[in-house]
Amino acid sequence: MATLEFKHVNKTFGAVEVIPDVSLFIPHGSFTVFVGPSGCGKSTLLRLAAGLEDISDGTLEIDGKDVTFARPTERGIAMVFQSYALYPHMNVAQNIGFGLKMAGKPKAEIARKVHEAAATLQLDTLLDRKPGELSGGQRQRVAIGRAIVREPKVFLFDEPLSNLDAALRTQMRVELAELHKRLGATMVYVTHDQVEAMTLADQIVVLNKGRIEQVGSPLELYNQPKTLFVAGFIGSPKMNFITGDYATHRQVSTFGVRPEHIDIVTSGAHWTGRVQFSERLGSDTYLYVDVPGTGRLTVRAIGDAAFVGGETIGLAPRANTSHGFDADGRACAVSE
Amino acid sequence: MRSDGSLTALMLFLPPAVLLFSLFVIWPIFTAVDLSFYKWNGYGDVTNFVGFDNYGILLKNSIFHQSLFNSFKLLLASIFLQIPLALVLALLLYRKTSANTAFRLIFFAPYILAEIATGLIWSFIFDGDYGVSAMVADKLGSEPFYILADKQWAFWTIITVVVWKYFGYHMMIFIAALQAVPTDLIEAAEIDGASPLKTIWYVKLPMILHAIKLSVLFAITGALQVFDIIIPLTNGGPSNSTHSIVSFLYTFGLARMNVGFGAAVGVVLFILCVGTAFSYKRLAIDKGGQL
Repeated sequence: MATLEFKHVNKTFGAVEVIPDVSLFIPHGSFTVFVGPSGCGKSTLLRLAAGLEDISDGTLEIDGKDVTFARPTERGIAMVFQSYALYPHMNVAQNIGFGLKMAGKPKAEIARKVHEAAATLQLDTLLDRKPGELSGGQRQRVAIGRAIVREPKVFLFDEPLSNLDAALRTQMRVELAELHKRLGATMVYVTHDQVEAMTLADQIVVLNKGRIEQVGSPLELYNQPKTLFVAGFIGSPKMNFITGDYATHRQVSTFGVRPEHIDIVTSGAHWTGRVQFSERLGSDTYLYVDVPGTGRLTVRAIGDAAFVGGETIGLAPRANTSHGFDADGRACAVSE
Repeated sequence: MRSDGSLTALMLFLPPAVLLFSLFVIWPIFTAVDLSFYKWNGYGDVTNFVGFDNYGILLKNSIFHQSLFNSFKLLLASIFLQIPLALVLALLLYRKTSANTAFRLIFFAPYILAEIATGLIWSFIFDGDYGVSAMVADKLGSEPFYILADKQWAFWTIITVVVWKYFGYHMMIFIAALQAVPTDLIEAAEIDGASPLKTIWYVKLPMILHAIKLSVLFAITGALQVFDIIIPLTNGGPSNSTHSIVSFLYTFGLARMNVGFGAAVGVVLFILCVGTAFSYKRLAIDKGGQL
């Protein structure tokens, strides 16, 4: 286990500044997820931690030791790549044991550790197979096994589940959570999938244009987003944002309310609009309602709410669930 | 009857291919085999059947033995000098930078030159009377050195020129293969603690093994066919010591109008080429997977 700390880290590629100035502390044994839209700098930040990119300015400490200029292998990290990065000419056992071989470990020790990791990841029967003979999930497990055997201080994951289908992704997500619980290791995970972020993390770092928008627990980010960006990024479907008179009356520049926090009402409606279409998922129904003068609102109704397209309904935000943002996009009090 | 259009494509494209291949490959091979059993000077009817005499003469010919040995030396040089040199340079130059592009162009340039032009350029360089080597000798105040007329060094000079001319071609094959190696794999090896040399050994070389095998196959078949560099450089001399199999065929078969004898040499060369290529394919390529 180890801590990881970015201190005023800056990264530029030529004239392009990708990470302007990031300071972040990742505690011992935490599962920290970097989340943000494409191009926000989350993968770059992870690669800076791995030592695959040079830090332009600032320092990086792992376990209190300055590793800014250390080579990847000297940092005590292991990384799982989006593409798995398995060596196609080596079998599973050779792939898992490659790091130990490079470290000059005895063959017997390599074999023992490879078998231990394989047992942990249910790869025992696949050790002689080449990566090309494995399924996506098995390949992902081999990539994780390759990281585990090196007993790193910090595990780095770069969108490791993005190449898997939805069902396998869910399964691997659970396996990763269990692995983290079992190893108790510090893990840093990059994803653009907020479901992964919300379910896996005990600390989420939301990034936007190379800057940290907010750091906090998943529910903290969901319940108390500090910026308009975080409010819009965390939560699915995304939060409804309302500007204009409705917001001004509540002394905010933008009024935000999540789809699950809007009730369909017959009296006391704040908005009245026409249901344009609905998505019936069985457990929930998402309604897309066009409100004149306000725009389109997304509403999440519990259960199978059968609405005919074109039907007019009344909507009201649930008490104490709305969010207000000032003209700079910062969270502020909303008077309800 | 196949209805997906493939039969139409087959009927349309196969006959011209079969016709051209038969006309320019199959028919000449069979003609060469047939001619090798005759003594024929290229004029008149082919009537003087001599059986295996041409082959008998060939097997006893010491110049042919030397030519075979020279071709073998060229083959070894191509595999053990040319390929490693190309590989080292490819590893140094495969990354996409403007400097690397310039060096690639410089190293690839000899391959673009026509073989005969290459031979003429190098024969001028090595000319002890008027060439570059004459100028160098003059500057150094030493006696002019006629390396192409030296029995001991002439063939080594040819080997040098052949390596110089073709290594760029193999280098480009390796560069293309190296550029196709996923960056993730190199980075994964770096994180796994592999040094740059170990990354080359354990990751890059295995990843481009298919290109290396292909290159070696080209080098083998190319080495057995070296001809038009030798003619302008030494014309097989001094004392017929620098002939390859093909220059031997040309000099003693075609130039002296011994068409039957030349055909016998051609048949031997064909058997050698096909035999070597198939043996190599069976030993190296099929064993290690497909190309």
